[in-house]
Amino acid sequence: MKVVEMHRVSFTYAGSSDLILQDVSLDVGQGEIVGLLGPSGSGKSTLLRLIAGLEAPTAGRIAVCGKTVADRTTFVPPESRGIGMVFQDYALFPHMTVARNIEFGLHRIPRGERKQRVRQMLELVQLPEYGSRYPHELSGGQQQRVALARALAPKPSLLLMDEPFSNLDAALKADIRRELRDILRRAEMACLFVTHDREDVEAICDRSITIDAKVLV
Amino acid sequence: MGKGHPKANERLDDLQPYRGSSNFAARFFILVSLAQGPGENWSHIKQYVLKDAVMQSAWLALLTGLFTTGLGVGLAWLTAAYDFPLSRLFRWAFALPLAIPPYIAAYTYSAMLGYTGVVQTTLRNTFGLQLSQGWFNIMSVQGAVFIFTMFLFPYVYLIARAFLESQTGAYVENARLLGRGPWSVFWLVVLPISRPAIAGGVILVCFEVLGDYGVVSYFGISTISTAIFKTWFGMYDIASASRLAAWLMIGVLGLFLLERQLRRQRRYSATSGKSRPLVRRRLRGAGGAAACMFGAVVMLVSFVIPVAQLVVWATWTADEVWHEGFYRIIGDTVAVAIVPTALTMVAAAIVAVSVRQFGGIFGYMLAKAVTAGYSIPGAIIAIGVLAVFIKLDGWLAPVYAALSLGTGEAPLVLSLSIVMLVAAYVVRFMATGYNALEAGFEKIGPQYAEASRLLGRGRTQTFLRVELPLLKGALLSGTVLTFVEIVKELPLALLLRPFNFQTLATKTYQYASDERIHEASVPALCIVVVSLASVYLLNRIERGMEV
Repeated sequence: MKVVEMHRVSFTYAGSSDLILQDVSLDVGQGEIVGLLGPSGSGKSTLLRLIAGLEAPTAGRIAVCGKTVADRTTFVPPESRGIGMVFQDYALFPHMTVARNIEFGLHRIPRGERKQRVRQMLELVQLPEYGSRYPHELSGGQQQRVALARALAPKPSLLLMDEPFSNLDAALKADIRRELRDILRRAEMACLFVTHDREDVEAICDRSITIDAKVLV
Repeated sequence: MGKGHPKANERLDDLQPYRGSSNFAARFFILVSLAQGPGENWSHIKQYVLKDAVMQSAWLALLTGLFTTGLGVGLAWLTAAYDFPLSRLFRWAFALPLAIPPYIAAYTYSAMLGYTGVVQTTLRNTFGLQLSQGWFNIMSVQGAVFIFTMFLFPYVYLIARAFLESQTGAYVENARLLGRGPWSVFWLVVLPISRPAIAGGVILVCFEVLGDYGVVSYFGISTISTAIFKTWFGMYDIASASRLAAWLMIGVLGLFLLERQLRRQRRYSATSGKSRPLVRRRLRGAGGAAACMFGAVVMLVSFVIPVAQLVVWATWTADEVWHEGFYRIIGDTVAVAIVPTALTMVAAAIVAVSVRQFGGIFGYMLAKAVTAGYSIPGAIIAIGVLAVFIKLDGWLAPVYAALSLGTGEAPLVLSLSIVMLVAAYVVRFMATGYNALEAGFEKIGPQYAEASRLLGRGRTQTFLRVELPLLKGALLSGTVLTFVEIVKELPLALLLRPFNFQTLATKTYQYASDERIHEASVPALCIVVVSLASVYLLNRIERGMEV
């Protein structure tokens, strides 16, 4: 079974006539790490936002784990899709500690298990001592790992990442890439991530898709 | 009614109807006149009042708009682009005039410049100078423009300075590198780029001028707002007042269109994502001294002198004014401001969230609808709210009968109560609360809410747990700004307050219109002190600090 299937999806912003995406079809299998390449303005981020449910497609069908989440008649809101996302600027809640950030998405599991899961996640991203810190006290690389832990904590069926390395310096990038790959493998997580750097793809991905001028190549 | 010559007796005649129980009586007559249809006074008003009123309103708005643009943008550029002696002080102090509502400034200046005022007595007694009274006549259109300009220019100044400091750095530097001098940098680069921001501030000033009642009525200038008051309270003719209101709305709509036109090209302020802040140049020698002098004169005229005068008068009359009844006025003012402030903030939060939820055209319309109140003059809002409440009372008549409330066949319960004033405040000042919240939302951006949704939290949970904690500052500043606006507000309170109900603003107005200017200084100073809180906040907000 595919984790995500997109079938002939098109997207236009409301009140605008510019076509952002046209007839895009793609799928991601279980445990697969797929890179989405393309120049800026090609609609890569929009594609992720469509899968996440932050935007609704103007045409086409999107299914997650075999269940239709968006088509002409259906729209499942993002909180019910079971998809995790790491934002380009991480979007860690500034008024919560690292532990509270990770715990935020765990409201559906029993209270007693939450603390343990937070600890597991912090160990997974190798920041076990950082639970009580606030996001602004962390370096860029640490913030990125916390964002990853937060997204993975509710065990989503798919992880979306929007330019996850763009805010990191080159030296850090190589390390983080390797770590990310290990973490995703250990978590057996399917991942679709957007980048404009071919090196990212070569280092991490099972395969890559290039998007150019609104359509997949 | 003539051209609005400021004769004291004429002014008193105009004000007569506000005294005593006439406010109470007016509501009954309004009910009657609504039933009668178009007022028979309309032809009289149309023939003798309308043209003058429209012209005077237009002149006031136009001239004040021009002068506030000059003063506001000039001071903004001076403080944003240059360092000169005391410039750090001026940078925030130029917002202080906002703490003095124009009607208070109008009483203060006219009394100071009057025959027994401090200016003329000093000239007579110390210098033996006896000048023509014409020299000191501030009670004219020019005088009103002077008052409006000196006490409303900070709206333009604050917006323009924030924009200049944050957005124009790169352009100004490039223009300098391309060999342009300071004047051509200002005229060719700064002014065109900041036009949309300036337009926003100037239009706000024009709305204030069109809606003003306190200044023009005291100066005996016939504008549409005073004409509405006269037809309402002088002739008890709400139908004619509504028609005048329609004329005023035409002006307001015209301003709306003008603002849209002036803002159309705002796009070109957003070409480069992040702009460098403007680096200030040091003004030395004569230039620095001139800039400092200019700033000092503006500060003296628009804040220091009137406040000092108010303090002096207050020391003369405090014992007499500050008695038990005055505590009640303060209590009433606070109470009648807190309730609508709370309602406004809750409603503003709901609207801000809904606008985000619906987005698109509907969201835009919703946002425009709730913020429209700020541009609509108080007199018009009062008429609208009154009409709605009289209808409501009509519908609720059976309920009143069951509860044995009110008297007569058509009892007026809600429309004689404080509820009506509260409702009018909410309509008028929704924009203040909403804009503060909206700015907060814009600052935190959508990504936190999106992250929360993707972590499985619904809209309500997301708002309560993520957005609300992050919006605390915006919520607090919105609350304070709204509260202060309500405390300062005059026309709505005059028109809609229940019988025997006084706020600090109406008390100030009453003392002033009874020619008891010295007594008026006590409630006036209370308003100024409260308003300083919002000036402080505006300064911080405009500088984009954490509030």
